Amino acid sequence: MTAPTNRTLTSVVPGMDLDEVVYGPLTRDDFVRYAEASGDDNPLHQDEEYARNNGAPTVFAMGMLNAGYLAHAVSDWFGGPHRLRRYKVRFTTRVWAGDELACTGRVVVVESGVVKVGLEARRRGSGPDGLGLDEEEVAIVGEAEVVLPE
Amino acid sequence: MAETEITFALPVTRRAIADFAVAVGEDNTIFFDADEARRQGFPDVVAPPTFSVRQIFEVPREEREERLGASLDYGRVLHGEQEFIYSRLPVAGETLNGTMRISKDFTKEGKRGGSMRFVTYESVFTDADGAEVLRALYTLIETSKDPGA
Repeated sequence: MTAPTNRTLTSVVPGMDLDEVVYGPLTRDDFVRYAEASGDDNPLHQDEEYARNNGAPTVFAMGMLNAGYLAHAVSDWFGGPHRLRRYKVRFTTRVWAGDELACTGRVVVVESGVVKVGLEARRRGSGPDGLGLDEEEVAIVGEAEVVLPE
Repeated sequence: MAETEITFALPVTRRAIADFAVAVGEDNTIFFDADEARRQGFPDVVAPPTFSVRQIFEVPREEREERLGASLDYGRVLHGEQEFIYSRLPVAGETLNGTMRISKDFTKEGKRGGSMRFVTYESVFTDADGAEVLRALYTLIETSKDPGA
């Protein structure tokens, strides 16, 4: 369980690190649940055989599922989702069933009531057999702008 | 002949919000409990920040492709980037009006040979008063070779 931290503008300074939040380990059931809730029914994320026939050793998480977890972390760091004014992510690698998703953030700039935050979500786990992945890889690089009360 | 934009409606219901929030591991009560949301100053439960991806229910990929005509080969397409710009979060009970168009389409030479084409679909969501609620920028990358890992 996590709960939003009520933060004010004066409690945030550039260079400040937000506490790492770890989600998962992700399961195939999580992918199915996200497919049903989001409408992303691409079989690459649910159908083992389809994934293998299309260049992936097994199914993997939708990028937007990972981005959804990262947005959750940002929301909790800054007092709730309504604080967000902008949220941008770039996907850098795939996240597999069994992986944890470790989300971190660092305050970059505080300007005119807007806090700019650099974000990262890393996959953490052994990955699919035979792929020889590093135990930890950056899966999302992102940035957010949030507004905080004085 | 391709169209320049697609308009669609995105219903925001309590049920859809709750299902989506559970799917991204959310436990904040403002997604689940209307009374609690009201106590915090919202008219009803609010949608999580990435909720508008549900627009794919309203405009499936095939329809988007056929009507906007980017002619992407989905065997070589990756979701590269996603951006949301918010005026506020959607609230349960409203229906947003969406307008989707291709806002960027360019090709860049890759570092290791080959090229990458970036296509951005920009969707603007407005409320019943015509005020912008949020916009979503969905960027696909089409590689010139097999995408590999």
